[in-house]
Amino acid sequence: MADRRTTTIDEEVPQTMMTRLPASFKPRPRRVHALEQTAGPGSPARHELTADTLVVGRGSAADLRLDSDDISRTHAQLMRQDDEYTVEDLDSRNGVFLNGLQVHAAVLRDGDQVQLGDVVFTYVEGA
Amino acid sequence: MGFYVRFWGVRGSIPTPGPRTRRYGGNTSCIEMRSDTTVLIFDAGTGLRELGVSLMRNPPRAGLDLHLFLSHPHWDHIQGFPFFGPAYAKSTTLTVYGSEDNENYQLLSGQMSNAYFPVAFKDLSARIVPKAFENDVVQAGDFVVKRFEQKHPGGSSGFRVEHAGRVAVYATDSELDQLLTDPASPQKTPRSIRRLPTSLITAVKKADLLIADAQYTDEEYPQKVGWGHPRANTVVDLAIQAGVRQLALTHHDPMQSDRDVDAKVLTATERAQAIGAELEIFGAREGVTLRLDRP
Ligand SMILES: [Zn+2]
Ligand SMILES: [Zn+2]
Repeated sequence: MADRRTTTIDEEVPQTMMTRLPASFKPRPRRVHALEQTAGPGSPARHELTADTLVVGRGSAADLRLDSDDISRTHAQLMRQDDEYTVEDLDSRNGVFLNGLQVHAAVLRDGDQVQLGDVVFTYVEGA
Repeated sequence: MGFYVRFWGVRGSIPTPGPRTRRYGGNTSCIEMRSDTTVLIFDAGTGLRELGVSLMRNPPRAGLDLHLFLSHPHWDHIQGFPFFGPAYAKSTTLTVYGSEDNENYQLLSGQMSNAYFPVAFKDLSARIVPKAFENDVVQAGDFVVKRFEQKHPGGSSGFRVEHAGRVAVYATDSELDQLLTDPASPQKTPRSIRRLPTSLITAVKKADLLIADAQYTDEEYPQKVGWGHPRANTVVDLAIQAGVRQLALTHHDPMQSDRDVDAKVLTATERAQAIGAELEIFGAREGVTLRLDRP
């Protein structure tokens, strides 16, 4: 049977002697993900994603400019939340395809293929 | 207009977090369908928690007005409910749809009884309103939702959802293989189409998107007969017979890794191609939103 006598921690529970982090512990830095362009005008190219929000398109307002007639002026948007990026179609003419499936939006994962018109990217998560 | 479908939980039976399932996701059943003015939620599996977080990020001034449909009250379809943030907000109205006796409402509240969870259902701040289907049809905001019976231990409901001339069907936890007009056909003639009853085909007819339980491969199924879930290939045959445009395989088995789901999708696609059907098949994946009202 359990002993229901109350004891103070000092008496019986072994305690950690001091507050100390393991020597090698450090918080991980924010990961930098990238879009590696494998097809379409300008490829091959690697675009590191550093902004929290960026617009992909043909127009001068786009943060990531793609010089292709298949691409709308503001074609898609990438938004970072915590450690992930979501791609969203901005009512583009030719749409956004994730691994071949047309999507309105999608949270991206390492190795995903993202296609906008004739431009194809592989999404690569940073270490 | 706008008819969006987002997957928040696509796993069957039990949550499966971890690297093996990171791409398709490990949360259990939860699907959001929305128009510009209405939000429908199908099932309250663990995916519901993150949907709640997303809804609370920018709630409308007048408060959230949400419509919740439950296929059935098995754990993997209700377990997210106690962690659904909007249920704790005074400004939320949550309509819970069910049968006349509103069994769903009772069962949702039952899982929040004292022994299981610290907060009682009656202490949730939201206005929670039970509402019954009438002759299996109900209007929810600018959607029309039709309910149909499925084959599952204890029963389950499928939902045909119509808006802006487009149709999505959510049909999970349904052992189609127990409804085959010739139950022996998958063994006898594995390659020929598996016929399903007319009533079921009518319920799914010409859907732009069918989101269907496709838990097992043909190889896995013989050990799982009577567990309430179909062979993915049989789902393909249902979609083909009903003239469905797009098929999302969901309720992935907890044993299936991302690569296993890929293989299941590939096999299903090959089957549709062999039959000569124009059907787009994909694996339902957390965090993906489709838009059905594209031209
Ligand atoms: Zn289930
Ligand atoms: Zn079930």
